[in-house]
Amino acid sequence: MSTITTSQTIGPFSHEGWQWAVDGCASLSTSAPTIVLEGVVYDGDGNPVDDAQIEAWLPHAAASEAGQEIPGFRRTPTGARGEFSLRLSAPARPAGEPVAYITVFARGLTRHQFTAVFLEDDPALAASGILEQVPAARRATLLARANGAGSYRWDIWLQTDKETVFFDYS
Amino acid sequence: MKFDAVEAGIYPDLIHPAYKSTLKRGPVQPALRIDAPLPATQNIAPAPRILLPHDADLTRRGQGQPLGEKIVVTGRVTDEDGKPVRNSLLEVWQANSAGRYWHQRDQHDAPLDPNFFGFGKLLTDDDGRYRFVSIKPGPYPWKNHDKAWRPAHIHFSLFGNVYAQRLVTQMYFPNDPLFPYDPIFNSVPDEAARLSLVSRFSLEHTVGAEMLGYEFDIVLRGRDATPFGL
Repeated sequence: MSTITTSQTIGPFSHEGWQWAVDGCASLSTSAPTIVLEGVVYDGDGNPVDDAQIEAWLPHAAASEAGQEIPGFRRTPTGARGEFSLRLSAPARPAGEPVAYITVFARGLTRHQFTAVFLEDDPALAASGILEQVPAARRATLLARANGAGSYRWDIWLQTDKETVFFDYS
Repeated sequence: MKFDAVEAGIYPDLIHPAYKSTLKRGPVQPALRIDAPLPATQNIAPAPRILLPHDADLTRRGQGQPLGEKIVVTGRVTDEDGKPVRNSLLEVWQANSAGRYWHQRDQHDAPLDPNFFGFGKLLTDDDGRYRFVSIKPGPYPWKNHDKAWRPAHIHFSLFGNVYAQRLVTQMYFPNDPLFPYDPIFNSVPDEAARLSLVSRFSLEHTVGAEMLGYEFDIVLRGRDATPFGL
């Protein structure tokens, strides 16, 4: 049997302890162009999840954010309407790489969920080594819709026929 | 690194009906196993300035001494090969000795302690070891069901050495009588996996007449990619 230490839910009370990293990315110094990614986390009844924590990892942006406390990293709790908003550096990156790798935590989620978000207007999507491993019918759950002026919309669904594709990295 | 599939029963069930909020929040589709080079090879690199004085001593964040039983918690973080997870960020958070979190949404009718906020962060050392000083947290009620009380626990958040090693879990204390009744602890089907979350009392790490020691080792997923043919 595996010897790994198992997971437990983040619970509802992470906010105070996790705030330092939220503050650390609240103001952004970057040499790269930026986009804003907004969305809502929904549960299986379509109700907003107001106590989730979202982390975004932008490995290709770390060099452009060298002055940040954690270059290429964002953390934000969801708000009262389940909403989150992330300002992300979007430098040139290898074809088909996501704009961010995402991790989702919440009360009632017994282990964190890995996913990734791609921009629907990225011309290199067809070259994505990650998307090609995702069944075609579910790929849209990983695509952020362009809202104009560098703004994108991407919701996270924990259940239902819209359930976001979550990964187990091998 | 490579990440073997986790055997059934080791991870908690994503939908565990006794833990009610999992019913509408646990993903239903199995996680999609994929190859993705970056999460298996790279990670965040926090600037050293994130670590502040007393981040690893939760009893020294207020104006005076917090109430409760002072403890030291220490252990070693390794990967599945037993190799140390070095210089890796670890966050902890917990209730105070009365079972109350320093948190706006905690409505438990137990006192806050003005000298205890209950969170900290630290790095593992070159041998994967960590050590922080705190107060033993109290159990608390959580309304999941009648007489629902959580066993005393400390939340851990680990970043590992590569992104895919990320782990959030909870450390418990030995011989807690609440274990059989806690749906969160019991959301993990495998008994050995559940017991891996229970710290050990350690006389070795106990510090004189100041504080009792608890030891909690952590094994993160991932092992070295073995060269082909070996």
